[in-house]
Amino acid sequence: MHEYPEGQPVDFAIIGTGAGGGTLACKLAEYGFSVVAFDAGPYWRPLEDFASDEMHQSKLYWTDPRIVDGDNPIQLGANNSGKSVGGSTVHFAMVSLRFRPEWFKSRSQLGYAVDWPLDWREMWNYYTEVEQVLNISGPLRYPWGPKRPRYPYRPHELNAAALVLAEGAEALGIDWTPTPLATLSAPHGLAHPCVYRGMCVIGCSTNAKQSVLLTWLPRALTAGAEIRDLAMVGSIEHDHAGLATGVHYLRDGRWRFQRARNVVVAGYAIETPRLLLNSASAKFPDGLANSSGLVGKNLMVQSNQAVWGVMDREIRSYKGPPSLAITEHWNYTDEGKDFHGGYSYMSQGPLPIVWGTTQASKRGLWGQALLDAMENYNHQVGLKIVGETLPRERNRVTLSDERDQYGLRIPRVTYSFCDNDKRLIAHSLKFMRQALEVVDAHDIWDEDDDTCHLNGTARMGDDPASSVVNADCRCWDIPNLWICDGSVFPTVGGVNPSLTIQAIACRTADRIRAMARRGELPSL
Amino acid sequence: MRRVPAAEARRRALASLQVTARSLNEKYSLNAPARTPDPEWRNAVGRKLNLSSALLSLSVLADSGLEHYRGSFQNRLMYLPLAVSAATVAASLFGIADARAKSHAVRDGLYVLAGLTGATGLGFHGYNVMKRPGGLSWLNLFYAAPVGAPMALLLAGVLGRGAERIRDDEACTILGYPAGKALGLVTSAGLAGTVAEAGLLHFRGAFQNPGMFLPVVVPPAAAGLLTTAQFRPGNIMRRAAKLGLRLTALLGFAGVGFHAYGISRNMGGWRNWSQNILNGPPLPAPPSFTGLALAGLAALSLIERGSHD
Amino acid sequence: MTERYPGYNVLHKRNSVSWNDQTRAVIDARCGIDPDFHQFCDEAEWKTLRSLCDHIIPQPLDRPVKAPIAAIIDQKLYGGKGDGYRDAHLPEQDKAWRLGLAAVDAEAMAACEKPFCELSADQQHWLLGKIQRGQASSEAWQDMPPAIFFAKRLLHDIVSAYYAHPASWNEIGFGGPASPRGYVRMNFDRRDPWEAAEASPGREDQARVENERVG
Ligand SMILES: Cc1cc2nc3c(=O)[nH]c(=O)nc-3n(C[C@H](O)[C@H](O)[C@H](O)COP(=O)(O)OP(=O)(O)OC[C@H]3O[C@@H](n4cnc5c(N)ncnc54)[C@H](O)[C@@H]3O)c2cc1C
Ligand code: SF4
Repeated sequence: MHEYPEGQPVDFAIIGTGAGGGTLACKLAEYGFSVVAFDAGPYWRPLEDFASDEMHQSKLYWTDPRIVDGDNPIQLGANNSGKSVGGSTVHFAMVSLRFRPEWFKSRSQLGYAVDWPLDWREMWNYYTEVEQVLNISGPLRYPWGPKRPRYPYRPHELNAAALVLAEGAEALGIDWTPTPLATLSAPHGLAHPCVYRGMCVIGCSTNAKQSVLLTWLPRALTAGAEIRDLAMVGSIEHDHAGLATGVHYLRDGRWRFQRARNVVVAGYAIETPRLLLNSASAKFPDGLANSSGLVGKNLMVQSNQAVWGVMDREIRSYKGPPSLAITEHWNYTDEGKDFHGGYSYMSQGPLPIVWGTTQASKRGLWGQALLDAMENYNHQVGLKIVGETLPRERNRVTLSDERDQYGLRIPRVTYSFCDNDKRLIAHSLKFMRQALEVVDAHDIWDEDDDTCHLNGTARMGDDPASSVVNADCRCWDIPNLWICDGSVFPTVGGVNPSLTIQAIACRTADRIRAMARRGELPSL
Repeated sequence: MRRVPAAEARRRALASLQVTARSLNEKYSLNAPARTPDPEWRNAVGRKLNLSSALLSLSVLADSGLEHYRGSFQNRLMYLPLAVSAATVAASLFGIADARAKSHAVRDGLYVLAGLTGATGLGFHGYNVMKRPGGLSWLNLFYAAPVGAPMALLLAGVLGRGAERIRDDEACTILGYPAGKALGLVTSAGLAGTVAEAGLLHFRGAFQNPGMFLPVVVPPAAAGLLTTAQFRPGNIMRRAAKLGLRLTALLGFAGVGFHAYGISRNMGGWRNWSQNILNGPPLPAPPSFTGLALAGLAALSLIERGSHD
Repeated sequence: MTERYPGYNVLHKRNSVSWNDQTRAVIDARCGIDPDFHQFCDEAEWKTLRSLCDHIIPQPLDRPVKAPIAAIIDQKLYGGKGDGYRDAHLPEQDKAWRLGLAAVDAEAMAACEKPFCELSADQQHWLLGKIQRGQASSEAWQDMPPAIFFAKRLLHDIVSAYYAHPASWNEIGFGGPASPRGYVRMNFDRRDPWEAAEASPGREDQARVENERVG
């Protein structure tokens, strides 16, 4: 690996090596820029470092203290963010979906929330690029949306949990499909195909999973980028002109400074605003890039409610990737809805700790009642949504006065569903209940308060007054400061975000190259 | 223009067709059977066909053994192809060893049974595909019961019966057709089916290794040459067909090696055989190409004999 | 109640290809935890914590190896590694537990004049039900809402610790560690020979035989 000296400015210092930062580091390095990418987490070698154990693998999660409040305080940690080189994709569930085209213009075309400054046709090409790099295995014909090129790998075999979704969808007369997944259905290079061990969300120990760690980052290293792991960035420095000059970071117990001509923040939708706010200075007392006052605001989770039931047949949903089948019906159908936005739902395969705590915390079971319910583990099935939530300024990341082990102020994450979100959730629970009833599941219950994914908090837009960055992920306030991760989403849609984050990163890299060639980036 | 009554026109057209057919026939010796009173020679061809049945049924035995074990023998009928293919292997070995130049009732009966079992299996596997959610879809074709295995058993039966007929019939015909042609067509059809199966499964594997293209290139070429050789007499065509078939036969064996390598490419490699032998590429599948290629070679020698006479 | 997976022991797979060295090290360590060892809790807290664990997860008395739930929690609290978030109503996890354990005992004293560990099972059940519903009144809770502590800290930690232990996996028929060997048979009602066999009615003996072959 190439190593850059701290004292000489690199073209790009990137904070975070996940879906946004890792992808961007690769592309920029391949375009010939000098790149150092920082990550607070370690650089894992999955074959040697990962055990098949839920508790042990919590080493992949961001477990530094965070405070959650609001009407629906969100669960973080395991469920929501990673602290590893490769970011949250090291333990993500690999579901790789494209936005519905209209969502990029949801205000003008669907009548709610805000428009993106991006055009779906341009994004469609970037999606294709990412799907090829991740060797997505997916169906030959995707039932919804405009035509897309064939996925590079064929779909995986369905497990029983996925077949339940398929049977239910067919009985209710809606489309379903094998889920496009970022895990190999056949060997690729040195990587083995998926062995269906079902532990994807605690880290894949076979390297079948096409995470950022295994796809973009090896390419980034080959192209000369440096990945500095176990390096926690505490603040971004700027000069008197208000241009970013580098980053302060803690590594090996010592605070250091890396000079840079451009700084990219890609720490995901909590750490990104936290870092911008923690970098407040005399010149920027409200934090960097915050002239709009929107840094940290409009946090959007996705609703992640589920309906669970018990089947007479054995399901054993611990086998195979957790979400092998999906329906996006309610993303693409607008009739019959009393809410804005959409949702997809997928089959589920929770591991014992997650399943046990779900039964206990969500259903309030304990004692013999809990053990009895848990005995049905191998017969239980579930359908879970990834649902759109609307952006609201009151849902936000702010700084608490408490400090973490680095001495940095910790984030307070405030979240409440709005009425529209609640109507969407109610609709989905009712529909999924039917989908389980028609396949003869019994003991059906609703898990009504889960969330997943984090987006917003530094949204992109056309207007400096109502957005933090422009379409190129460039901050309005500080022209050599960029934000490239889930934070820039103006809306979230009803699909998992990582494919879109990576597509945006690819676009951003192309835009940076184009602008640099035209001499529009004075810092380079 | 003088009008010809319709009936007369039809008669004339038919006659001219017949003439053309006859002349084509004579030119390309389409209907010239390898008429030979030499029972030794016919027995030798019969044995070649027995060998090809043996290989096909052996491949079925191993493949359905593995696949039905993977299917946990959920249905008692899943034992049937094992028993029948084992019996077919035995019958074929017996045929290979049999010096008497005539058919054998038990052998013949077993081949009929193999054919029937194969046909039934096709039905069952087809049903298995259709009953899953999605019905006739790529996903189900990829992962539900494969249609290739029962087809191989069907072919083993048909080719075995052919072996018996040739032993008995001086005129070297099967169902009234010259044996060489009949067998050639069966073989080409069989190869086409097997190629379709290999193609489907290799497509499922995204042709991730260039070697995976071989079975969709070589055997179709061989089948094409074999078919052409039946209609275009001449040494060159026959030699080309022979070469193609020999390569196909070789590929069948090499395929086992390729698949063994494929298994090692799965997580844990051969050390994890209890999973990978089921999840990796099927070891016993490729030799059905060898079995079919041998049948094709036998058909070629029949055609050759016919055209020499 | 009869076992759902008679004779199934996930540890029989320890030396098989379903486990790799990393996993063996991790699970060996967890199974080696001394159920009586505690560093975080003092004696009074320890007694309360153990009876809480026994009550929330009533492990069968005749189980040869029980999951050392309290010791796993003590270890976690002593190590100080958090979950990555905490409800704004709760203090940090170590403070929350100390406060909670004391408050549970205080509630028991107030209601029955005995510490929690000396209550009968019925009394414990009644008391925990009250705390779960937020009907607790002791001053000892200070600012911490009992219901939130119960759902987000007490249940969460006890249940997480239990389902991290192989004893619980045997009970629910979970396949356990699975690398490098994963699974092959994914359809309804299918199990690989290295998975737990379920004792459906009338099949108990057959299930036991199959489970003894798991390895
Ligand atoms: C359990 C789980 C399942 C998921 N499943 C899916 C799925 O199936 N499909 C899907 O599309 N998405 C899924 N996601 C979401 C997806 O992983 C994230 O949306 C995506 O990875 C976010 O990308 P990002 O670049 O914004 O942040 P991340 O990928 O989280 O990367 C951020 C990185 O920045 C580092 N970092 C943060 N702050 C600092 C700092 N100050 N200094 C140094 N480093 C820092 C972090 O350590 C981290 O590695 C899942 C997430 C989880 C947790
Ligand atoms: S199921 Fe596949 S992708 Fe998931 S952890 Fe196992 S091998 Fe990796």
